[in-house]
Parts: sequence; structure tokens; C-alpha cells
Amino acid sequence: MLGSLLSGLSIGSVLLLVALGLMVIYGTMGVINMAHGDLVMLGAYVTVFSQRLLHVPFLLCLPLAFVFTGSLGWLIERLIVRRLYSRLLDTLLATWGIGIILQQVIRLTFGPELQNVSVPVFLTGETRVGGIGMPSYRLAVFLVSVALLLGVVAILHRTDLGMRLRAVSQNPQISACHGIDVNQVRAWTFALGAGLAGAAGVMVSGFNAVRPTMGSSYVVDSFIVVVVGGVSSLAGTVASAALLGGVNSVMAWLTNDVLAKAVLLLLAIAVIRFFPKGLFSAQAR
Amino acid sequence: MNLLRIRRFMLSPYTLLSAAILIVPLFVVDPFWINRLGLYLVFSILALSMALCWGQAGILSLGHGAFFGLGAYCMAMSLKLLSPDSLNQGTPFPLPDFITWNTPPGEALKLPWLWVPFQNLGFGMAAALLVPALFAAVVGWFVFYGGVSGVFISIITLALVVILNLVVIDQQPITNGFNGLNNLAPFDLAGVVFDPYGLPAYYLIAGICVLLLLGLRWLGSTRAGLLFRAVQADEQRVQYFGYDVAVYKIFAFSLSALIAGLAGLLFVVNSQYASPTIMDVSISIAVVVWTAVGGRQSLIGAVLGALAINGAQNALSESGSLVHVWQLIIGIVFVLVVVFLPRGLAGLGADLWQHLRPQAKAVEAPALVAEAELLSVPVPQNSHQSGQRQS
Amino acid sequence: MKRRTFIQTMATSAALTSVVGCSRGAAPGSSADGGETMKVGVLFSLTGGLEIVEKSMHDSTLMAIEEINAAGGVLGKQLVPVVEDGASDPRVFAEKARKLLISDKVATVFGCYTGASVKAVLPIFTQHKGLLYYPTYAQGNECPSHAIYTGAVPNQQVTNFIDWTMKNLNAKRFFLVGSNYVFPREMAKVAKIFLQENGGEFVADEYLPLDHTQWGPLVSKIKELKPDSIFSNVVGASTVAFYREFKNQGLTPEAIPICSTVTSEVETQAVGPEFVAGHYSSFPYFQSVDTPANKTWVANVKDKFGANTVTHHAMECSYWQVHIFKQAAEKAGELDPELMRKASLGLEYDAPGGLVRIDPDNGNAWLTPRIGQCQADGQYKIVDEYAGPVKPLPYVAYGETEQNLYCTTSGLDTTKFNPQEQQS
Repeated sequence: MLGSLLSGLSIGSVLLLVALGLMVIYGTMGVINMAHGDLVMLGAYVTVFSQRLLHVPFLLCLPLAFVFTGSLGWLIERLIVRRLYSRLLDTLLATWGIGIILQQVIRLTFGPELQNVSVPVFLTGETRVGGIGMPSYRLAVFLVSVALLLGVVAILHRTDLGMRLRAVSQNPQISACHGIDVNQVRAWTFALGAGLAGAAGVMVSGFNAVRPTMGSSYVVDSFIVVVVGGVSSLAGTVASAALLGGVNSVMAWLTNDVLAKAVLLLLAIAVIRFFPKGLFSAQAR
Repeated sequence: MNLLRIRRFMLSPYTLLSAAILIVPLFVVDPFWINRLGLYLVFSILALSMALCWGQAGILSLGHGAFFGLGAYCMAMSLKLLSPDSLNQGTPFPLPDFITWNTPPGEALKLPWLWVPFQNLGFGMAAALLVPALFAAVVGWFVFYGGVSGVFISIITLALVVILNLVVIDQQPITNGFNGLNNLAPFDLAGVVFDPYGLPAYYLIAGICVLLLLGLRWLGSTRAGLLFRAVQADEQRVQYFGYDVAVYKIFAFSLSALIAGLAGLLFVVNSQYASPTIMDVSISIAVVVWTAVGGRQSLIGAVLGALAINGAQNALSESGSLVHVWQLIIGIVFVLVVVFLPRGLAGLGADLWQHLRPQAKAVEAPALVAEAELLSVPVPQNSHQSGQRQS
Repeated sequence: MKRRTFIQTMATSAALTSVVGCSRGAAPGSSADGGETMKVGVLFSLTGGLEIVEKSMHDSTLMAIEEINAAGGVLGKQLVPVVEDGASDPRVFAEKARKLLISDKVATVFGCYTGASVKAVLPIFTQHKGLLYYPTYAQGNECPSHAIYTGAVPNQQVTNFIDWTMKNLNAKRFFLVGSNYVFPREMAKVAKIFLQENGGEFVADEYLPLDHTQWGPLVSKIKELKPDSIFSNVVGASTVAFYREFKNQGLTPEAIPICSTVTSEVETQAVGPEFVAGHYSSFPYFQSVDTPANKTWVANVKDKFGANTVTHHAMECSYWQVHIFKQAAEKAGELDPELMRKASLGLEYDAPGGLVRIDPDNGNAWLTPRIGQCQADGQYKIVDEYAGPVKPLPYVAYGETEQNLYCTTSGLDTTKFNPQEQQS
């Protein structure tokens, strides 16, 4: 049981890691970014590319991927998403299309094969924390997701951009009246969310198969986390990632991983139906 | 006057498309192409069901693959039990070959209870239509009475198809999992054998496609159709007029699922095959792409979208050098259509048509208004905008 | 009005002719006696998740065809490969198989990798009279009439492997794990039967979907149950997550070796050799097979497809089965599928991995069982090797022996192998 609790924690931290970027975009702009999983994939390929051609150390790939996918996110907002704010369903479709395009571009440049990312030696094997053996890599994933979370909190609550962003998310029209360049803020938000997806991709590349189609499962996972956590609360996202990680792990232990996944999806459906604002969201939108 | 009407009917895009569908096989000799055109029409029927649900009733389902797949599986289960292989297993009852594979050594062979009623072909065919429809009705009841709308419906339907796909693959001993059901008996109805490469099968599919095209067009002209569009334009206002909007939505959603199930049934007739890959996310998205590119609001657009994209896909994937770029091309086309042509190619065509024959629209518009007044329903002003109001 | 109707008719018929045009263009008559060329079908996934493995099989098939053409072709005719993409989807495999047989009228097809795809196309080959050369290791329990299987069957890959593991790694308690479809499940069933007969046991058997990547809970379970060895039939991309999670949770090949029937050189490359090193795989061919024929072949492959290319069992079979086809066509004198199948039986070829022979009874291949241990460079050190090729027994788990064959040229003998009796 302790084992499955620990594994729940580690699944939860992966969920938090991949969901953060989606949370930022969806929570503040209401846009469902279906290309999110493919931005995670892109982050993983940034790692492959930087390792193989530039020989960048693994952890340094984090900022690289963040900047790269972030800039791409900025471009996507400028070129496509911006035109669709009045048609919410169509943003979903358009970002899905963008995801397909990203996948195919990667596939044409890197090929379809599984890429292999080498992980620094100190991140393989186990680390002993208070007498319990923990997979070092999972520990690293946990630490990185906490660090990114703190980073997002800092941006939202300590910076000028963060303040404007919160204002725009509450009421774009009034924000505009107060002289906030709403378009600018939205573009930066999208860039931030995309950048976080890229950073998540770096960590994911260390324990998962890196290939063009790897993103599709992450978009579903992240969406469940955000929906269950509630759209506008970071704390809710954290709680939801922990809860879902735990449920997944316990269900997997009781039945199998597949049924655990199905249960998570059913849970998400029920939450949408009965708690449209999420389980952990205190404030209304 | 009558002559003019007949002429207009004869030249309407509906008649032309239907005629084209029905006469094409007279020019195609290769049985493989008869079969493949039949497959494209099956996908067209699936696209029609999406046009009903999305274009008319404003419900963007990202899980239509679930209904298509359920229809296909119900039909395939019956045909599997009728296949010579299943009949010659040495058991007193027909037994699909994979069940002998999946039964652990030492355990008695038996037909899983889920399979038992499917020994009757009629049951399988009825189930292929009713199971998806009932499933959709339950989902619709759960969702629409809960006030879930817009994007969240898409997400819920998406989650449903993922769940169904996971369960079908996981329940391998009953469903044969990832491998699916193949080696099926040919579809034999009252002595007529629908060989998938022959004209009877083609005309079965084509006939149903044409009937649906005309039937759904008729439905669009009825009170229900008008309400669908009105709901899409302003759901709250329709509610204030005293309509139970949820009932109409559930009706549209279930009918759409029934048609998708019918498409699944015909898919099995055409391809003699059912597997989890026909009830997954990618086929669900593919239907949306066909319908969006063809024109989500237009029945003809949906049919043409399915025909054109599947045709192009096969042409490109069989051309050798372009095999790797077709998905990229489709992705780009899709994004461009969603952003710049929300009414799809049919919308583009309609605009051109209207430009050439301005009087055609003028006749129909007052009629629509009059009808709406009778029903005291506001005429949808911007029904081509699918912008959903939600939470 | 007349003019308009006329124009419309013209437009419709023009559209139609183009449809008919393609279909006719693709089917210029029978391939066997139609002039200087001879068409053969090549059907692997060139897109989708399985492209990773199947592309290399596709490449080596085309490589063999080129070699044969350079040496004068078959019966004096140049082979023309008709390439189709199965898109990693059994549905597409079935559709393309139909296209090849009905529309392109090829008599022989080289192709398929997963058991799911081969199960989807076999009924089509039977119904439309074609011959499939299938180059992948399979789970047995099959006796197809319109195919030649050139990959390993359980008695060349599983029973020898478990036997060796029990004797040399002192393993008694096995944890069975695999992807969730017919091939891994049937392989596990064979393993279970064999374990039971030889005093071993299995502590659990688990199946996860093909693309599953969340291995944390399962590896935790392995840790808790502490088996002596893991018998793995994990296929595709989830292999990567499996080996990585295994090492990340602190498990080592010394404590619990993974014995895989699927992880070959190409999967190892994708996982990263540092994660696979020390674990075992069982295949009749490894890139490290030390024969002059193999060295030449590997050099040719690297020459053609790049120095990073690795060779593996299914890729080797894809290559040599084309040469078997050539011999068979020359023996039969024409491409009639039934004559071709008959002609293939008993043929021999000096493949890169050693001598192979198509079994005269069941149409599977005689292959030399080998077991390899993964090294730090991703290559396999051969730790066990039979002296020569072994007769294939697809029903070995159900009591088939060389003296008592279940699958022969006249099909499956249901008096010996009856699913109903087999259970009791």
C-alpha cells in the first residue's frame, strides 16, 4: 500500500507537470488548447535535438524547451487563436489541427522512430529518503513540477504581467478600458502556457518513449486534471493532480492500469456534470 | 409553374448528388473500386450524422467513433457467429475462434452471455441501430439536463470514446481486443447475399445514403429542424418560449447516434471487419474534419467532404512519394478552413451560387420567417456562427 | 435546358472516367505472364506507431527485390514492387490487401508485422487466392493455407527460452507481462503451459495496451512480488517506458532479469542500451551472429540505410523470404498462389542468420534458436545457440511433436487438435 501511495505521488507529479501549461491557458483565457500534448512532445524533441547536436546537459534543456515552445505558442496565438475568441468551439478544432501539423512536421524532420534521451547518471536508480527508496527520476520530476508551480505563482502574483493577466481573465472588456492591452496579455499568456508544456516535455522525455504521437495521451490527462481541479485555481490543480494520481495508483493496484484510466475519465465526466467549476475551486468565474 | 418546380428539383444539388451516387458504379468495372466507393459512402453517412448533430443541433461531438464502432461491433458479432469458422468449432453452439484462444487451458468453452443473443442476425442488426441510439440518449439525458453545454459536451464525448476504446481493448476475452472481429460471414438477408465487391452491397449503401440525405433535408424543414437551428442561435430565448430544449437536443443526439450506428453496420457489410481502431479518437476527429471541411451546416457539404478527403487521402497515400505529407496537408487545410471558412467548402459554394442566382434565396427566406412566426420562434440570425454560449 | 443537361452529363462522365481511369491504370492484367515485369505486393506500415519496426522490414524487402532484379530477376522478369502503407491499423491492412489482390492483381504479397494485421488480412488471402509471405515471429496455434510464415514459432523462441532461463538463471517463479492483444496473450499461454509441465510457476500475468506508457504501478507490483524472472511480450512504444521505469525503480537485471521475445536490436536502440543492458532476448537471429554471410549483409544494410541502422530478426526474415519466393517462382514456373505455396515447401536458403528451410508440412521456417544478452552498446551477446535449424511446431504447447504433427499440407488435423478437447 505504501508503494502504491508513493507511485500515486509520482503519477500525481507527472500530471501536475503536464497540466500546468494547460491550466494557465485554459484558466485565464478559457481556450482549450488541444495542441497542448503536442507542445509537450515538442519539448521532448527539443531535448533530443539539443542533446544530440549541441550536447547540452539534460537539465539545461528545461529553459531551452521553455523558450522554444513558448515562442511558438506566442506565434500560434498571434496567427490563429486570436481570430477565434468569439468562437470557442472553433479554437478547440483549430488547436487540434495545429497539433496535427506539429506532429507531422516533427515526423518529417526527425522520422517516426522512437528517440532516446540519455538521462544523467545521478537521476537513475533510487534515492533513499528517510529509509524509503524513491526512484531518483521521479523525485526529480516532483521537484521540477513544484519549482514550475512556484514559478507560475510568482509570475501571476508578483509581476506586472501577472496582474494584468489576472485582470484580463476576470473581465477583458473592463481591463481594456483600464488601458491594458488585452491582445498583448493574451499572447504572453499563451506563450507562458506553451512554454510550460515544453518544459514538461523535457522531463517526460526521460522516462517515456519520445515519438511524434506521444502528445495525444498527455492532452487528455492534463485536461482531466484541469477540469477536476477547477478552471481558475492553481491550488485546485495541485489538489486535483494529487487526488487523481492517488486514485489512479490505487485503482491500478486493485484492478489494472487500463480500468484505472477509465475510472479517471468517468470521474472527470461526473465532475463536469455535477461540479462544473471543479472540485477544488473556491471562487466563481 | 409545375414544370419550373420540377426543373428546380431536378437541378438542385441534392438531386444531382444523389443521381451521381447512384450512377457511378455503372462506369466502374473494378470490383475493388466498387467496394472502395462503398466505403467512402459509409463515411459519408457518418459525416451526415455529424452534420445533423453538429451543424443542425449545435452539439459538437468528438466521440462519434463510439456510436459508429458500437454499430459495427453489433453487426460484426452476428456475422462472426454465422461464419463457417465459428460454426465448425466442434461445439454445439457457434463459437468465435478467438474464444478458444483466450480460454485458459483446462476451462470449459462457452459462449459469453454478451454474445448469446447475437446468434440471431436480426437482433444484431437491430442492436447496431438501437445500442448507439440508447447510449446516446442516456448520455444526452445525463449531459443536457445537467446544463452542460458547448465545449464541455465535446470533452465529455471525447472522454466517452476513449473509455469505450480502453474497455473494448481491455476486455480481450470477450471482444478479441486490439485484433477486432474479422473473418466474418457475408451479409445474407432473405437470400440476397451482399458481396462487398458487388453491386448489391454498393446499392444498399448508396440507397441508404441517398435516403438519409433527402430525409435529413426534410427533417431540417420541419418544426424540429427549425428548433435545432433556433437553439443553436439562442438557446435561452427558445427556452423562454416554453420549449424543453434538452428534449430536442437528446432527440438530435440520439438520432445522430443511430445514423452513426447504421454507418457502422454498413461498414461491416462493406469491409467485413470491426476493430477498436474504428471506435477511437482518430476516427471521431476524422468525421469532424470531413464535416468541417465540407461545411458543417450543409448535408451535401458533409457528404462531399467525406468523399473528397477520403479520396484525396487514398490517392496521396498510394502515390508513393506523398505518403508522408498527406496528414500535414490535411492538418493545414483543416486549420485554414476552421479559421477562415467556418461554413466549409459548401459555404463557399453556396455563396458563389447565390452570387450567380440571387433570386433563389429570395424565395426561400420569407417562407422561413413565416414558418418561424407560426411557431413563435425567433429566426436564427447567424446560424452559421457556431459560437456557443456556455457557462 | 438541353445544353445545360448536356454539359452536366459531360462533367459527370469526365469525373467518372477519372475514377475508372485510376482503377484501370492500376490493373494492367495478370502479373505472371504479362511481359517483362512481374508485380509483387509489399505491405508494411509506413506511417503510424508501428512504422518504427515495419519501415526496416519494408526496406529490407525492397533491398532483396533490388538484388534479385540486379541478378536478372525472376523467370527473366524484373520484379516490380507495389508498395502499400498499412498505417499501423489492421483495418487499413485489410483494405490494402484487398487492393493488392483484387485491383492490382498481384499474386504474392510480402508483409505484415503484428498478429493483428496478419489476422485481418489472412481471410482475404484465402478468399481471393493470394499468397502472403509473413516475416514475423508468431504465437503459433495457426495453420494458414495461403501463407508462408518465415519468423519464429514458440518452439523456436519460447520453450527453449524458458527452459534455458530455468536451468541457467535458476528461475522458478515467473512474472508474465505483455501488451494486450492476441500475440502476447497466446505467447503467455504457451509459457504457462510449458511452466506447468516443467515445475515452474507464474506469479502473475498482466497485459497493458499497446501504447501504454504509465508503468509505475505495474513495476511496483513486480517489486512487491519479487519473481525470479520476467517473461515479457511487451510490444511497441511501451517497451521504452517499461525498461526505463524498471531501472528507475531500482531493479537490476542481476536481481530480476527481463526475458523478452520482442525486444530486439531496434527496440533496444529506442529504449537506450543503458536501460536494457543485462536483460535477455530470444530470437533466431541477432545482428551479432558471427558468420561471413551476416557480416556482409549487415555491411550492405548499413551502406544502404546509414551507419546507425541495426538489423533484427523480423528484418532478416523480410530479406531472405524474398529469395525463397524467387526459388519458388522458378520452381513453379508461374505465380499461381497455390502452386507457389507448394513450391515454397522444402526450399532452403543460406540466410544471414544461417541455413533456413521452409517446412514441407506446415509452411513455417526451420530456424536456429538463439538467446542473447544485451550489452552496453545495444548489441546482443549470444549466450545460447542450437547447433542447427529446428523444425517449426506451431502447436507445440498443445502437444505437437515432430512425430505427431497437427498442421500439415492438408490443413489442421482437428482430430488431434480440437479446441473442445484441448480444454479438457
